[in-house]
Amino acid sequence: MRSVALLLRKDLRVLVRSPLLLGVLIAYPVLVAGLVGLVAGYGSSKPRVALVDEDHLPPVVAIGSHRFRINAAIDEVGKNVHLIRMDPVGARRALATGRVVATLTVPPGFLADLKSGLRSPSLVYQTTHGGISTRVTQQLQALVYSLNKRLQKAYVDTDLGYVRLILNGGRAKFSGRSYDVLGLARMRALLAKLPSSPERKRVTEFARIAGVALEQTGNLLASTANPIGLTRAREKSRSSLLSAQVQAYALALTVTFLALLLAAGAMASERDENAIGRLRRGLVSMGELVSAKVALAGVVALALGLAIAIVFGIIVEVGGVVGGQPWGRLPLLGVGLVFAGGSLGALGSLLGALARETRAASLVAVLVVMPIVFLGLVPPEVAPIAGWLSDGLPFVHGVRYFASALYDASPWGVVGRELAWLVGLGLIFGGLARLATRRLLA
Amino acid sequence: MRVGEALGLIGPNGAGKSTLLALLAGALEPSAGVVERVDDVPVGWVPQRPALYDRLTPRENLELFARLEGELDPAAVAAKLLARFDVPSDRPAYTLSVGNRQRLNVALSLLGDPRVLLLDEPTASLDPGQRRRLWETVTGLREEGGSVVFATQNLEELELYADRVAVLQRGTLSFLGPTADYGRLHAEEIFA
Repeated sequence: MRSVALLLRKDLRVLVRSPLLLGVLIAYPVLVAGLVGLVAGYGSSKPRVALVDEDHLPPVVAIGSHRFRINAAIDEVGKNVHLIRMDPVGARRALATGRVVATLTVPPGFLADLKSGLRSPSLVYQTTHGGISTRVTQQLQALVYSLNKRLQKAYVDTDLGYVRLILNGGRAKFSGRSYDVLGLARMRALLAKLPSSPERKRVTEFARIAGVALEQTGNLLASTANPIGLTRAREKSRSSLLSAQVQAYALALTVTFLALLLAAGAMASERDENAIGRLRRGLVSMGELVSAKVALAGVVALALGLAIAIVFGIIVEVGGVVGGQPWGRLPLLGVGLVFAGGSLGALGSLLGALARETRAASLVAVLVVMPIVFLGLVPPEVAPIAGWLSDGLPFVHGVRYFASALYDASPWGVVGRELAWLVGLGLIFGGLARLATRRLLA
Repeated sequence: MRVGEALGLIGPNGAGKSTLLALLAGALEPSAGVVERVDDVPVGWVPQRPALYDRLTPRENLELFARLEGELDPAAVAAKLLARFDVPSDRPAYTLSVGNRQRLNVALSLLGDPRVLLLDEPTASLDPGQRRRLWETVTGLREEGGSVVFATQNLEELELYADRVAVLQRGTLSFLGPTADYGRLHAEEIFA
């Protein structure tokens, strides 16, 4: 242990004396994490969908008593889908080449069916197979839901206009001719002027009950059209950039980048500086050498991970953002940072020993970081093989640990399981790195 | 190796001199055969290419390896060696001249009070004064019963300081005997 501590102290001292390297090592993953967060957020929110108008919809459409400006309606309901107008041939080509993820077609006769009210017209969509097709389908269902809501409101408003006419009377137009409608209210006034009789009393009572019943029509029509509504409650919650997932990814990405690069570089530099021969002569065992690099990765991951978490916590506090426990869970987060850093440090040591030279080791580590991170970003339900591969690497376990430690009400189950993964993977990679140190001595 | 003797190791480039010294030092594992060492005899090793940490200063290098060697007072030992080899103490090692790096390399080999010194072309980049100091150190060690193996391409040093000579050619020992039995004629054949 003493030898490990001495080598760790040496490595930290060397690191501190390379401020440019340290700055790049910190800035690069934070920048990449931010970009990944932005790209992931944009990509998940706005799939590109081709809109093919085979019915040649006019700029303004009248449905019932409402007039719709088609482009404005598309813009409003298309907040979650980026709709691009295309002709049928262009849309087919765009779908085939992946420029759009789906096509949405307005078939001929759509508007006529819609206006007639005799049958429900359909929009037709096509999407790519596998991948994000499920999500695109959901987005398009949401789009049609939004259109239906607007149409339902138009229909309901039109119907209510007729109901009001029956209730209150007034002038109305049907088939181009103007009518004066008496209305229940005016009918009651006329009845009051007639001599009292059982017949008058019965008709008056009917008019009263019909009026009361028709007064409820508006609510009944609205609830029939939308039995269950969905209303977004406005409150101070976290934006996507301050979400648990983004913070967990930012931490894991930073730790992965730092730990892999540092451990790989530090291991290979022992050979580059020819010091490994001196150490090998009974001063330090190769197991202790690997342990020192693992410890280096763990310590640096702890320091930088906590710094990121503290900065994040300050932003959350200053912004008055609710959700999560930025301060109370820092010790638990710290444990995860050390083990995630150590596990990745063991993998980095393996890469460093295999690469043998510092420059080659650094390059290999940089090349390995991205696949590890992107494997962890692919949802397992989209590509199961990515999930299996990712489970064999520490990154995804770090992400799950950090997210649970910071935000779950009861994190112990997830934290314990992910910690076991990190320790297990660290031991496997550390053992392999120990074997690979033979290459450093050759 | 005999107690108190100096064995000179010569041979053309690539003959295996450095590999042999690294094997004797324990820095390499033999792929075949066995290196037998007397237990608890400390061995110092001066590799041909300095084995030290470039970002640390000479003092930090010496103190680190002194601690790893188990020296009781690493700071004092480091200070003593720095003074003895006249190495700038507080600049990063990568800023030192080739000669100063070699001095530090030699100083590091003396940590742990070695009884056997393995020197791989130790004087190649030293100035005459430092060469003299190094051989004084070697002589002092031998007088105290220590032993030295040194690889060299300098035949003059071989004649001056070696009791016996070992000649390596293509990884094979082609001559082992007293320096007196080894003449310059052999050297001309070896390096022809």
